[in-house]
Amino acid sequence: MRRNLTKRMAVLPLLAAAGLVLAGCGDSVNDAATETATEEAAVATEEEAATEEAAEVAACGDWAIAMHGWVGYTASAQVVAEVAQDALGCTIEQTQLEEAGVSYDAMEAGSIDVIVEDWGGGRWQEWVDRGAIQEVGTNGNVGLIGMYVPQWMADEYPDITDGTKLNDYADLFQTPETGDKGAWYEGPPGYTTIGEKIIDAYGLNYQVVSTGSEAALIELFTQAADNKTAALGYFYEPQNFLAQVDLARVNFPANDWTDPAEASGLTDYPESPLMKLATTELVESGSPFATLVANFNWTNDDQNMVAADIEGGMTPQEAAQKWIAANKDTVNSWLAGTGASIS
Amino acid sequence: MKAWIDTHVPDFLHRKWVWIVGLLIVWFALGRIFKGVHTLDIGNSEDTPTTEVLGQFAANIRAARAENPIFVYIFNPFRQGIESFVEVIRAVISDPAPGALIPVIGWFGILAIIGFLVFATSNWRTSLLSMVLIFGCGVLGMWTYSMDTLALTLGAVVLSLAIALPIGIWAGLNDRVMRAVRPVLDLAQILPTLVYLAPLALVFLIGIAASTIATMIYSIPIGIRITAHAIRSLQNGPIEAAESMGSTRWQKLTKVQLPMAKRTIILGVNQTTLAALSFVVIAALIGAPGLGEPVLQALSIRNIGDGVTAGLAVVFLAIMLDRSTTAAVARSNQIPLTGKPLLIRRLSLGAAAIATIVAVMMSRQQLWAAIFPETLNFREPIGDWFDAITEWFTTTFYFLTTSFNEVFTLNILNPIEYLLADAPWYLTIIMISVIAAIIGGRAVAVLSAVLLLLIVWIGLWNDTMITLTQVLIATTIVMVIGVVLGVAAGRNEKFERVLKPFLDAGQTLPAFVYLVPVLALFGPTRFAAIVCGVFYAAPVVVRVVADGVRGVPKEMVEAAISSGSSTTQVVTKVQLPASKKSLLLGANQGLIFVLAVVVIGGLVGAGGLGYLVLQGASKPELQGKGLAAGLAIVLLGIVMDRIAHASARRS
Repeated sequence: MRRNLTKRMAVLPLLAAAGLVLAGCGDSVNDAATETATEEAAVATEEEAATEEAAEVAACGDWAIAMHGWVGYTASAQVVAEVAQDALGCTIEQTQLEEAGVSYDAMEAGSIDVIVEDWGGGRWQEWVDRGAIQEVGTNGNVGLIGMYVPQWMADEYPDITDGTKLNDYADLFQTPETGDKGAWYEGPPGYTTIGEKIIDAYGLNYQVVSTGSEAALIELFTQAADNKTAALGYFYEPQNFLAQVDLARVNFPANDWTDPAEASGLTDYPESPLMKLATTELVESGSPFATLVANFNWTNDDQNMVAADIEGGMTPQEAAQKWIAANKDTVNSWLAGTGASIS
Repeated sequence: MKAWIDTHVPDFLHRKWVWIVGLLIVWFALGRIFKGVHTLDIGNSEDTPTTEVLGQFAANIRAARAENPIFVYIFNPFRQGIESFVEVIRAVISDPAPGALIPVIGWFGILAIIGFLVFATSNWRTSLLSMVLIFGCGVLGMWTYSMDTLALTLGAVVLSLAIALPIGIWAGLNDRVMRAVRPVLDLAQILPTLVYLAPLALVFLIGIAASTIATMIYSIPIGIRITAHAIRSLQNGPIEAAESMGSTRWQKLTKVQLPMAKRTIILGVNQTTLAALSFVVIAALIGAPGLGEPVLQALSIRNIGDGVTAGLAVVFLAIMLDRSTTAAVARSNQIPLTGKPLLIRRLSLGAAAIATIVAVMMSRQQLWAAIFPETLNFREPIGDWFDAITEWFTTTFYFLTTSFNEVFTLNILNPIEYLLADAPWYLTIIMISVIAAIIGGRAVAVLSAVLLLLIVWIGLWNDTMITLTQVLIATTIVMVIGVVLGVAAGRNEKFERVLKPFLDAGQTLPAFVYLVPVLALFGPTRFAAIVCGVFYAAPVVVRVVADGVRGVPKEMVEAAISSGSSTTQVVTKVQLPASKKSLLLGANQGLIFVLAVVVIGGLVGAGGLGYLVLQGASKPELQGKGLAAGLAIVLLGIVMDRIAHASARRS
């Protein structure tokens, strides 16, 4: 016990001293930082005052963008964040988060304000009905889900891209996982899929293997292309991977559905414009950030370009800035109505 | 009747294993005949009546959030309290105030404080190691992320202990309390985090509070268990002496029981801390700051190197926290210093204190001591190096691993899965219950049957059997590895020292870091999932077994050697039987750890319950099914644990 006491006594003066040091010494690198920040702010205000245009930009405020775990999303969200910070002076927080339910709940609670790309055709309806979330248009990217095989298979078996004839090739796709059936690799658990319905509807001699992640699909197709092995799996555009490895889409008869719950399984996936979502709070705030989010719109090629740079080793910030610098007109069209612009 | 059996039934039929092998043959034959009949296989996106009810329940909570008084008056203040507590720690070590460059203390000061605290509670060697490891986090380019993780971990540990210690002591003193809390502990430890992550975020929103609470749910049970165990396993002598001297119950507790149990209780602190740290990545899924962020980012752009770098920082923190708490235990067991050594110790403590204060002051005023210098940041080269190694490893061993995977899948995985999942459900339940009756007795057989029927009723039978197959195989492999390496480590201290960093890494490296390499080696397969489970669970078993083997009295081993036993005989006839308790604990922990990564398996092609949990987390319309899958994992865990327990008690 006594030894314990001495030990405690040794710590106490230190804590007291540390407290004194922290309280007493006002001179820290932080003060210098604050001074520079104030100076910068002063300069900025002068600059703003100088240009009439800038003076009209309303205060932007603090907003949070959800960051979902796929590279295309990172590209879109980072570009929006950079423009908001540089051109509108917004304070943007980027919060890594699971998609769908967790994110919608966070929006309803006010911790997240924007989702820049959502694939889930209407799964947010419950939150829209309660007035928490609003759809703020499409982001210009068009999502297209489908079943793919490596290009070498399409070259060798031209018929294979006709989905209705897949049964002729089932034995090519046999794996130890699926026994005497072909393996039909499905995507990450959160992604829209009608794979099971297609297999049922056509009586395909295939068994679903749930790969569980984007990483798993990409490894699968990379190896199928490199080692010339067979693989039939779920994939989608926009995804920069399609530019790196040649895949051929397996086609089913033209699409006739939008809600996956209503799909018959006889027809292919639809092209679906990807949606932007914002909280009602942001939409009604009158902040120029709301205008930027509503106007944000770019093509699949744009997204793939930024995504490729990120995968090539740039930080998301660098990749986004590079694209912004090369596409000023597009960025300025998003800023229309805010009074701000970049040059 | 009994006499008749004794005389007429051949001797070998009295042996249990003969019956079990016979049953397996019957099971296999019937399974072949009825293959694919009544397997209760349902589609991934298909709901069942039970899962629909659960889904509706979650939706109702969500709709009621805004006005419900429970939220307004209980959950919200609770959340804010936790959040501000953790934010205070973050403000000191990781999160600069708005407009500021550094938090209250710069990196150099934090390094010094950690060094001093470890020195004060243990010795200079551990202190030096701790400082090197913390410095290493900076070299990996992960300083701020590491400090965020440290802040969250410390916050969660302090709050966890505030709850776990009192309850643990109470449960240690009172059998009835122990019986009451045990099922809750089981549930909290086996239920996969991802099952309650979304509901937690629903109640406590995203960010620091929700992730701290999620961490607490996971780490409190461990703290309670070990504290209760510490009180329970005390020798009676001193306690009775205190009683006979007329001590009050309070005196007995504070003067005798707690000081005596201190060593094991600190072990509880150690385990609680490591459990909290293993939460880093999961926490990032609901928006918590820390090392989970770079890990998830790296996964989404498949930058293996950067993911490993971030994962390594987690391992560094884990080793630091583990070694410093363990060293503190060791020190508290030493005889107190007196005379000259005590003087030296006091003087050096004083000197260290002054050095620490100077370092803290410098870290606030000098830029190099405030912000971790960019010239010492080797994040990119280290990442590239890991990339190159992984690339080489996966391309070199790809053909070896895929062919091994194929042989294993065809000869072991598939036959067992046919047995469990492709036979009619009632056949499987009957067979499992009969085997449980043979090895564990009637009570556990009835319990197994009831719980398995419950899974049928939930509607996830087939997925549960797919998961059971993988869990059985993974646990078996884990036990084999655990016993082999554990015995080797227990017998040879040098080997243990070499092994230890790998055990630390296996236990604390976030699974998200090695998903991509595992996928590259094995593809999206059930075997890949088994590999993930083994990687995570084996270290614990190795540790427990090694500890047991080391605990075998030396005299027993020496007696065996002097009577001419070979090494193999010493191991199989003396050391293993004598450490039976540790083997059982190892099996139990191995099982729990394998179950804990069932969900990770869902990310690499395992299908089954793990996939359903993930699906429930990201598809709102299937949230009920995800919750049901989590419940099924718990039921499965209880069935397996109880059968193992009962059979151990009998043999």
